[in-house]
Amino acid sequence: MADLDQAPDGRQPRARFIAAAAAAVLLFGILGGRLFQLQVVDSAKYAAQAVAARTVEVPIRSPRGLIFDREGRPIAVNTPSWTLYARPADLPPEKAARDAVLRRAATLTGIAAAMLQQRLATFRGSPFDLVPLASGIAREAALLIAEERAGLPGISVSAEARREYLDETGAVNGELLAHLLGYTGPVSRDELSALTPRGYLHDDVIGRDGVEASYEAELRGTYGSDLWERDANGRPIKVLERLSDPVPGKNLMLTVDARIQRIATETLKWGLEAAGVAQGVTIVMNPQTGEILAMVSLPTYDNDKFAAGISAADYAAYVSDPTKPLRNHAIADIYPPGSTFKLVTGLAALEEGVTTVSQRWPTYGCYQIPDAPAGQCLFDWNHRGFGQLSIVDAYAKSSDTFFYQMAVGLGVDRLGGWAKELGFGAKSGLRLPGEAGGTVISKAWAQAQGRPDVFTGELAMAGIGQNAIAVTPLQLLNAYAAVANGGHLMRPMIVRGETDGDGNLTRAYQPEVIRDLAASPQDLQIMRIGAREVITTGHATNIGALQVPGALSGKTGTAEFGTPTAQGVLPFHSWFVAYLPSQAGATDADLAIVTFTYSAVVRGNVSLEVVKYFFQQYFNLDQDLRREFQVNAN
Amino acid sequence: MSAVTATFVEAANARRWRAFDWQLLLYLVLLVGFGAVMGYSANYETGSAPGGLSQTVKTLIWTSIGLTLFFVAARTDYHWLQTFATPIYLLVLGLLVATGLLGTNLFGAQMSISVAGIDFQFSEISKVLMVVVLAAFLASRRERIGRLSTIVGAGLLMALPAYLVYRQPDLGTALVFVAILLGMLFMSGAGMGWLALLGGVTLAIAPIAVGALQAYQRQRLFCFLDPAADPQGACYQVIQALNAVGSGGLLGHGLTAGRQNQLGFLPVQSTDFIFTVVAEELGFIGGMILLALFALLIWRVMQVGWGARDPFGANIAAGLGSLLLFQITVNIGMVTGIMPVTGIPLPFITYGGSSMISLLFGMGLLQSVRVHSWKPTF
Repeated sequence: MADLDQAPDGRQPRARFIAAAAAAVLLFGILGGRLFQLQVVDSAKYAAQAVAARTVEVPIRSPRGLIFDREGRPIAVNTPSWTLYARPADLPPEKAARDAVLRRAATLTGIAAAMLQQRLATFRGSPFDLVPLASGIAREAALLIAEERAGLPGISVSAEARREYLDETGAVNGELLAHLLGYTGPVSRDELSALTPRGYLHDDVIGRDGVEASYEAELRGTYGSDLWERDANGRPIKVLERLSDPVPGKNLMLTVDARIQRIATETLKWGLEAAGVAQGVTIVMNPQTGEILAMVSLPTYDNDKFAAGISAADYAAYVSDPTKPLRNHAIADIYPPGSTFKLVTGLAALEEGVTTVSQRWPTYGCYQIPDAPAGQCLFDWNHRGFGQLSIVDAYAKSSDTFFYQMAVGLGVDRLGGWAKELGFGAKSGLRLPGEAGGTVISKAWAQAQGRPDVFTGELAMAGIGQNAIAVTPLQLLNAYAAVANGGHLMRPMIVRGETDGDGNLTRAYQPEVIRDLAASPQDLQIMRIGAREVITTGHATNIGALQVPGALSGKTGTAEFGTPTAQGVLPFHSWFVAYLPSQAGATDADLAIVTFTYSAVVRGNVSLEVVKYFFQQYFNLDQDLRREFQVNAN
Repeated sequence: MSAVTATFVEAANARRWRAFDWQLLLYLVLLVGFGAVMGYSANYETGSAPGGLSQTVKTLIWTSIGLTLFFVAARTDYHWLQTFATPIYLLVLGLLVATGLLGTNLFGAQMSISVAGIDFQFSEISKVLMVVVLAAFLASRRERIGRLSTIVGAGLLMALPAYLVYRQPDLGTALVFVAILLGMLFMSGAGMGWLALLGGVTLAIAPIAVGALQAYQRQRLFCFLDPAADPQGACYQVIQALNAVGSGGLLGHGLTAGRQNQLGFLPVQSTDFIFTVVAEELGFIGGMILLALFALLIWRVMQVGWGARDPFGANIAAGLGSLLLFQITVNIGMVTGIMPVTGIPLPFITYGGSSMISLLFGMGLLQSVRVHSWKPTF
């Protein structure tokens, strides 16, 4: 049978070659068509994908804003901190040589070689990434590493900014302003998911406490970014474009004067040591503006340790300390205000017509609680009573039984209402983290404990700042400041404004009034007279002998609490709050101070002695009217 | 030698050199030049190890060796090889077995033997030699070409070297052997019914063959269907290749200016993925010029095939044509995402001495077929 494919001269079948050539044409057509589709039709899509795959946004960090005190002294600055890095791709490939390099780096930096090896071993990423091996390297060690660069392939050191905290002399001292400034620390892995959308990086720092935390947005600024081209290994090659410029963080000026902070710290320290007391608070404020001039909470902590990277042992010691040095007791803890609260009860009684300024009330050694069985009475601190007293005398002598009667006359709603009017029971809004709100007596407070209303005895006790009243030292000072300045409850300020790099104010933040008190000027003046009488004729006449420039007014307070000592003495908190014009001849008080000392068992008011010592130092007086503390033994 | 004889030989030589296919040589030179330029561009920034010869210089050396072999083969009467088919077959098997025993590791596969610092990939020359072996076998079966025994015999001949290569493992080259076998059977006039049956059987056992592959080979194989399936792993190359080809656009970024290429996003850019560099740097126009050169080359190969005076010569052309067409289609199809990634070099363009020398030698044989069996039509 003749094969149709067969060529007549015995050659190969030509049809098969033609069919194969046709197949070739078809295949080349498909390839050409595919190229047309990829390179002409869809080119833009693939080009965009290619750009996205080989470019990366690299953030440009902005320098953190500096912090100055109100006199322009730098108190939080950025300082180079040296970090030791390894780039795995540049390390010697042989294990022995690589270990030798790491050992040498360990010797130079004084860090265990095993730790460096462990850091390197646990790193997950590109071999071209810089792996941080150790931070906080000494400058000298960093210089040695840099000098030996040739012998340490793959090892490098680089300086990064870290926070450094200074005192009023410019020396590194993290203890003076720790509670106000707080500190910066690395962001944790848990926080990162929430912070990443706001531009935080995995190795970023964030303000942890104090102004560093509450003004984080201002201090941090805004990071910029460059668009980098990188190779397939992730190694950056060149900058393609600047996507956004970094905006440096704002420099801030605190309302605090580091010198006043120093005096407040040293005087409080003296008082605590002399009286054997562990904790105390002093706050100094300008009552006209609400500016905090000093805020001391002892014991304090060293925030510079945190900024440098605190050791686990140091941190554990802070956390386990029963005096809670990491807490700012001035705003974060609440205490019974004791007799200092009589300002509130007195003002309320005048305003609500419970008493007039001239009305005289009997006082008692023990006040029989109305509606209570006979014999259930509340003692005056003076167990003999004072006889008949008007409100100014009662305030100056701090008669407890007088103010029991005022509180009972007011009732729970009106007493609690005036406490709130003066800023108690709510956060002041000072822009620092961790402020507590406090407790003010109310029906709701009683109902929360399962009772329809407060007991009359509780109401009476609240009138002298015990029992159902708990305040922060800042709230108490702010209430006195409002009375002192003529009735404006100011929002306490911690930051005065923004500055240039040298600490010159460029934008001042304005003081803010929370509310003008609903009290009449007359009644406010009566209470100011009472506070003046405390110093001139009343309970704290000893401090009146100080030759301060202006007329000093104030109030003492003590509040017993806790369990008696072996000698049967109840420990007590002591308060002293005062204000005065700091310039001779001035009539407006521009300096207010509160000192609170915790749990003393000595005679006398520890806080009063501390404030006395503060004024002696602050006004540079030749006098020294401080009293010795004697252990109280009934 | 007498003057008369000398004159006769001269006349015969002159006739033969008139038959010499200058077009074929021209296309080869253009392709080799194209490849050298692209190889240079592909390694422009990455460069070569200090002290060693640069890749471009090596390519030029190999091209010189290849072109020398091309002319030697072209001058030699190819019929001479027919008598050596059996020793050549044994040589192929020997080379492939030696590669399996002594081969150095290349991407986890034993594909080459290193002698004096130069890597020989014997599978490349084996492809060309197997074309000769199969051409001789099919020519000897001239009278019984349509029978099943022809297909079975050719299949068995090819199965052994294909299996040895597959074991290296070099799936791509094994597939090239299969393509050569099918192409030569078809063009030599094997029975269409039996061929169709063979095709059916091949399709039927394909899933089994795929199942026998290493997991990484299998993954790579299926990336072309859905590159997004594993963008960081097995399909990374396919995605990067598509990005490179697509971003080349109509005119390309220019030589040495392809960013995907220069930044190392194409991991084997100078070998199997060289076409991505062509497409990225020279664009659609450059890619089409290269395709056109290949089309012209294959046209010349086919011309030699159907112009050959004897089955042996025609079979050689059929085999080389199948080899070229298959490798070009699969390689470019692979980098444009319409064929699985199998690691098949692009003829004359992909960097590599073994492939270059083997292919130029093969083209020399083709030229010999033309010179020694061409009967010009007047």
